[in-house]
Amino acid sequence: MSVDAGAGPTLRQQLVRRKPIKALRGPHDGPDLKRSFGTFQLMMFGVGATVGTGIFFVLQEAVPDSGPAVIISFLVAGLGAGLSALCYAEVASAIPVSGSTYSYAYHALGELVAMVIAACVLLEYGVSSAAVAVGWSGYFNELLDNLFGFSLPDALSYSPIPYEDNTTGIINLPAVVLVMMCMVLLIRGASESARVNTVMVLIKLGVLLMFVVIGLTAWNGDHFDGFWDKGAAGISAAAATIFFSFIGLDAVSTAGEEVRDPQKALPRAIMGALAVVVTVYVLVAIAGLSAQPASEFSSPEQQDAGLAVILENVTGHQAWGTVLAAGAVISIFSVTLVTLYGQTRILFAIGRDGMLPEKFSSVNPRTLTPTFNTIVVAIVVALIGGFVPADYLWDTVSIGTLMAFIVVALGVLVLRRTQPDLERPFRVPLFPITPLLTIAVCIYILSGLAAVTWVIFGCWLLVVLAFYFLWGRRHAALNRGVVADTEVPES
Amino acid sequence: MTIVVGHPTRTHDRAAISLGAMLARSLDTDLLVVSVVPAPWPTLVAGNVDKEYAAWSREAGAAAVTDAKRVLAEVAADLESRAVAVPGRSVPSALLEQAARVDAGLVVVGSAEDGAWDRVALGSTADHLLHAAHVPVAVAPRGFATHAVPRFARATCAFRADRASSDVLRRTTEICAAAGADVRIATFGVLGKTMYPPEVRGEQDVLDSFVEQSEAALRDAAVATGLRDVDHVVATGRDWAEAVGRLEWRHDDVLVLGSSPRGVLARVFVGSHASRIIRHSPVPVVVVPES
Repeated sequence: MSVDAGAGPTLRQQLVRRKPIKALRGPHDGPDLKRSFGTFQLMMFGVGATVGTGIFFVLQEAVPDSGPAVIISFLVAGLGAGLSALCYAEVASAIPVSGSTYSYAYHALGELVAMVIAACVLLEYGVSSAAVAVGWSGYFNELLDNLFGFSLPDALSYSPIPYEDNTTGIINLPAVVLVMMCMVLLIRGASESARVNTVMVLIKLGVLLMFVVIGLTAWNGDHFDGFWDKGAAGISAAAATIFFSFIGLDAVSTAGEEVRDPQKALPRAIMGALAVVVTVYVLVAIAGLSAQPASEFSSPEQQDAGLAVILENVTGHQAWGTVLAAGAVISIFSVTLVTLYGQTRILFAIGRDGMLPEKFSSVNPRTLTPTFNTIVVAIVVALIGGFVPADYLWDTVSIGTLMAFIVVALGVLVLRRTQPDLERPFRVPLFPITPLLTIAVCIYILSGLAAVTWVIFGCWLLVVLAFYFLWGRRHAALNRGVVADTEVPES
Repeated sequence: MTIVVGHPTRTHDRAAISLGAMLARSLDTDLLVVSVVPAPWPTLVAGNVDKEYAAWSREAGAAAVTDAKRVLAEVAADLESRAVAVPGRSVPSALLEQAARVDAGLVVVGSAEDGAWDRVALGSTADHLLHAAHVPVAVAPRGFATHAVPRFARATCAFRADRASSDVLRRTTEICAAAGADVRIATFGVLGKTMYPPEVRGEQDVLDSFVEQSEAALRDAAVATGLRDVDHVVATGRDWAEAVGRLEWRHDDVLVLGSSPRGVLARVFVGSHASRIIRHSPVPVVVVPES
């Protein structure tokens, strides 16, 4: 394909052009998604997608920052996630496409914003798959140790890059193996059914509840002394890390198309899921804090499989830790599968839009799955999981997700102005307070992130945008004769 | 290129012979109907205790041959045909031996007895043949005999976007040209299942991409094989039953599919789509081993 830059759209037109909605479906209109989900089911999706991404590891990260006030951090992060989910729901419901934040942004906000969002969601999914795999590795080793009395040597279970005084090794092998197993499943076209999802939710909630009950038996109110000692800076720093564990709540927002009565069901499901998730998280935090002093969370023995180790310390028994580790190993496996899957499909969508080489959107005729794409994603995620400590990963995931959410909230404001007549099956309540508050909360949480995280994010954004300007812009599918929406439709 | 037909010894299923007759008529060739009976032990057994067994085996073979000849007289009187009973350790391997002996171009078998009426159901024999045969294997739907036509008028060739399937398409086109039948090309695909929790959806995109890829590959293949006026249909759905059901089928259709000879490893890692399409086919299926 040759592109005549002179005859094409100007740069400005290109950056703001939007993908027309009718161009989405080809002539072979496939089976439509059914509107079938009720509020409760939707809520369960939200809970299932959220619980498990972070709660099994995040206390050991966040408590050293904030002390016992980590409970406040959980509430702040939850507030940010809930508000963002509402904004996301409006954008998702107004644009009848299936996909991720990236797809909505391309249809609503233009190509440049879509690329910024793409950079963010690649962190949200790709890096979080790696982070979750690393977390899995810790619980896997704990389980091996408890059940069979041996675990992999440090050289094979820790990454070589040092973080503070944590153990280092050569490679985090379990994380790599986990990602590769998920890759094989995805290539085969395996998918997690709604029923398996429900089972996973129950396993996760079950072991967390067990942790709460046992943790509370060791109640020691003294551990909550000096609640505010770390101050507002500590709270926002912890909230920034914790935000990672609320990723997935937006699963509810994108289901607008499949919901019977979105205006009622969506906010209820989002709020319901949020309530369940925040309650569980806060209970876990309270139980953990009541069982041991805040300073112990940063001890090296809790570097991985933190919750299981706390249980063992409280009860003096391995059995409880083993049960928790087993639950974590099973359920985090499914979390890794789902996030890895999300990553491949986002890249697929970007490839379909021509902003990535065509290989990313090619489907293997034998498996009917995007094999090349899946292998590339798995290799990159495995490399990150195998060689980078999770401590660096969580904050990177959080920054990407928060940035994406801010853009979505801005999108709600912009679209209400530019396209007031757009049909919106779901509108955020209390406009414009909700999107503005979303932005404010997200910025507050972002303020807690370390400088190094901003540098990593800035570099990554530059790489993605440079690729877009040098390559993607010239190969975009919209160049090929599809008329883009550059003008605001007249109302 | 004789057509070898596997005729069961116990049931009186006429489907395989009917299909064999239709294909033989279209391809202008003869039929060899083979019934496989248990082989006696090659070594002498003390006291000849297996004499009764050997006698039963011979009788069963003779009965099957009589039955096959009766069916042949009804459905293939105009064709040159023979019916034999051969001893063998397993039905598929004996059929393949016979096919190799007469240099057959096609092996025809019927569906499993417990399959649904008017659908292809792979029994153990057909399944083994599909995995092991180096010649094309045709499988008749259950009850095919009730609406068998003298010749097939159209072959629907399943096409994937790869080279092996272009090769199958080329061979199908050649055979259909000789048999005076039309060729219809079908791309089969199913929508991947939603991953739960449903955070990112892209399965419709994946399917659309596959269909586009397939159309592009088909254009290339059409240019390479000199096909003109290609009749191309896309059969997609939420599952294979829906995809296959989306096409219009006639009693004088056959469905042609390529199938790669799969190693143990490939069978573990790659689910066989061909066998899923076959299971929902309302018309006879010809599975061509890909080179």
